Amino acid sequence: MNVRLASREGLLTGFINLCCILLGLTGLAGTMVGGWFHLSSRQPGAWLLLLGIAVWGGVRAVRRVPDPSRNKTLIAGLVAGVMHGLTLAVSLWLISTLLDAGAEVRKWLVQLTPEAIRLLTFGLSPVAAAALMFVVMTTAGLVGALWVRASERYPWQRTLSKGPTTVRTRFLALPAVQNFMQRKHSQQILWGGGLLILLFFPFVLGQYWNYTLGTVGIYVILGLGLNIVVGFAGLLDLGYVAFFAIGAYIVAILTAPAPHGIMMNFWLVVPIGIVLAALAGVLLGIPVLRMRGDYLAIVTLGFGEIIRILSKSDALTDFTGGPRGIRSVGGPGLFGFDVSSEFYFMYIIILGIVLAAYVTLHLQQSRVGRAWMAMREDEDVAQAVGIYTLQYKLLAFATGAALAGFSGVIFASRNKFTGPEDFTLLVSINVLCLVIIGGMGSIPGVVAGALVLKGLPEILRQLADYRMLAFGALLILMMIVRPEGLWPSTRRQMELHERAEQSGEPDAGSSPETGP
Amino acid sequence: MATAVQTRAKRTFRIGRLIRPAIGVVVAVFVLWRLYTVLASQSFGPDTWVRFAISGLVLGSVYAVIALGYTLIYGILFMINFAHGDVMMLGAFAGYFTLEAFNGAGFLNKNLPSAIISVVVAFIVGMSVSLVISIALERIAYRPLRTAPRLVPLISAIGASLFLENVAQLTFGVARHTYTNPEVIKRNIGWTLMVGGKEVLVAYTGVLTFVLSLLLMIGLYILVQRTKMGKAMRAVAEDKDTAALMGIDVDGVIANTFAISGALAGAAGVMWGLHMGVIYHYVGFIPGIKAFTAAVLGGIGNVPGAMLGGLVLGIVEAVAPAALGMPFQLKDVLAFSILVLVLIFRPTGILGEVLSGKKA
Repeated sequence: MNVRLASREGLLTGFINLCCILLGLTGLAGTMVGGWFHLSSRQPGAWLLLLGIAVWGGVRAVRRVPDPSRNKTLIAGLVAGVMHGLTLAVSLWLISTLLDAGAEVRKWLVQLTPEAIRLLTFGLSPVAAAALMFVVMTTAGLVGALWVRASERYPWQRTLSKGPTTVRTRFLALPAVQNFMQRKHSQQILWGGGLLILLFFPFVLGQYWNYTLGTVGIYVILGLGLNIVVGFAGLLDLGYVAFFAIGAYIVAILTAPAPHGIMMNFWLVVPIGIVLAALAGVLLGIPVLRMRGDYLAIVTLGFGEIIRILSKSDALTDFTGGPRGIRSVGGPGLFGFDVSSEFYFMYIIILGIVLAAYVTLHLQQSRVGRAWMAMREDEDVAQAVGIYTLQYKLLAFATGAALAGFSGVIFASRNKFTGPEDFTLLVSINVLCLVIIGGMGSIPGVVAGALVLKGLPEILRQLADYRMLAFGALLILMMIVRPEGLWPSTRRQMELHERAEQSGEPDAGSSPETGP
Repeated sequence: MATAVQTRAKRTFRIGRLIRPAIGVVVAVFVLWRLYTVLASQSFGPDTWVRFAISGLVLGSVYAVIALGYTLIYGILFMINFAHGDVMMLGAFAGYFTLEAFNGAGFLNKNLPSAIISVVVAFIVGMSVSLVISIALERIAYRPLRTAPRLVPLISAIGASLFLENVAQLTFGVARHTYTNPEVIKRNIGWTLMVGGKEVLVAYTGVLTFVLSLLLMIGLYILVQRTKMGKAMRAVAEDKDTAALMGIDVDGVIANTFAISGALAGAAGVMWGLHMGVIYHYVGFIPGIKAFTAAVLGGIGNVPGAMLGGLVLGIVEAVAPAALGMPFQLKDVLAFSILVLVLIFRPTGILGEVLSGKKA
């Protein structure tokens, strides 16, 4: 039985290793490790990755053994290593034989360049390379078994998951902070200080960072809007981009010279865009808000796609510029000055974020916010206590849409261009992801989520083509390790940890909440 | 206070009653008017209509097979498996490689039996690969989130979808790959129908797709309704805790469900490849969304409903733009409009959903 489980682990990790080779991750690891240590060869990095996974396979196999005596762990590690080695050796033999025979493997599997194969074979003949691979991987499995015997299991997972919250609660529990928070005007002082910092922010940054952080800011406004819809009211909206598109197209049509030549003032267009987007939210909301949960999700998704396809279609080319979009969208002017550079837009965006956060905060703490919360928790009960749910749902939809329209206006005006490809489903998904990663229903969470989501691809730039792959994997990992988000609202955190505490699991990391 | 609330409730009740008929009348008038103008102008002959209907039927049957997988998983876990379309894409690639291998070995076009064996093996390989990926997906990305709030598995599924798409892009490249069909079922040969004095081609691959999707649907229906495993699946869908108390291995049943839906997605992928011909790393995305739409259209959780929803959606996509005199670019707009309309008038889908009231 143990042998079967161990060989399964070996096969599994062997397969993962094979996938790494097929994905070209070995080459990537080689380049990165080579870059860090200034090595001329890519082999160390590639083999480090392969060996790491093989050792991990050995570790996993040993964990399957119920009573770890010395012999049993070693056997488990050996079995896993053998299976692992067999998997890799056979595939390597097959690939290099095919390559030697002159088959164009690259036509189907683009990462299998002769150079990538040479990293693994050292230029040996197929059989010799396979034998070498087998021996090395078997040893690695044994090393994994010995590793387990040598070390206690370190609870890194718990530390990782509790990290951000622990930092936050510890920080809030500091006596100085507590004293400050209990002062009369502490809130106002905090807001004022934050604003002051933000005001000087754009001076410090260069043009590139002003642009990048401006994009983050636009996503923050979008996120704040969707946060109302999803986080507060609990309505899953997958077509949020539609309202963003409406805002962008309104500013483009009303200020650009090309299709209509209306060329209105930017500041006049902003309220028009906001109002029309909100109106679109209400119009869409009336028929669909009676649906629940996932039906709403798929209908809103359809609505988003409809808006995008319509803006692209030939039927509306005269109105929206069709697939080519609208160029030279007007920027804002102030007393005759042109203030449409990235630098000034940063201020507009900051102003927008502050306004949006202010509105959101006040809505959340008002009667409306409590009604939304009640609705999110249980619609039937909310209705029974006299909340007119349709009206509040419409309000949530309209507010969210208004914020999206606002950010659309800024977006199109800042880029001086708008086209249908700016408004794909991926935008809606990105905004939803940032709301959930940040922590649903939490305003600072939205900012954190936007920074991570839009900042992460910049950080992951070293991974080049593997950026989106890593991003997808991180999304999954994040949901498993920390489903409540980076900066969850206190209420949501309590909800999520209620279950763990009820089942008697000790909750070591978090001290009681001491915030206001 | 009480009277104010009452009158407000009464007033809104009336408005609520007016919305639906108003939308219905507007849509009906619009459709009839466009239909009349198109039919009066006679811009399409009967053969064109038949051609549209056939292509819609085939497309719809592929949607239907994908939708079956969605509906199964939704029925049990109440989650949108966003990565389902990408599971289908990987199945399509597996079938593609199988056919390429047979072709490279010279077996594919040797004689009729060898062609049949190749196609059957391609289906088996495609289905098994998708099955394994689907199980792995459940094990890695969804199982740890079983008790989390509903949006959390959705984000995880979006992550999985991005991951799988990029895996395919990095391994197989961004180029489009063309399926190598055996000579006997080339995409451009088939039976010819005579409609209104003109020939209409019914491709063999289309017939194969349609018949196979019907068989899969019937098989799935029998599996869910008549076997012990199906009974366990329905019990888990109804109430996981009670099912566990009755001695049902809930994790095992859920894994089985993912295996079945994965296999269906793989079959859909190979069908797509054989009939449409071109596959690439992004090929699963649009059919995936359409198939979920189809599942909702038919009533999610309902096996015949998914099939019906898929067929309706495929036919609407193929016929409606022409029937309403609109450019074909707008076919997706029409497809989604149908969805919105059906849900406005029948919120539970065409055939009604099979969901336990608690989760609804």
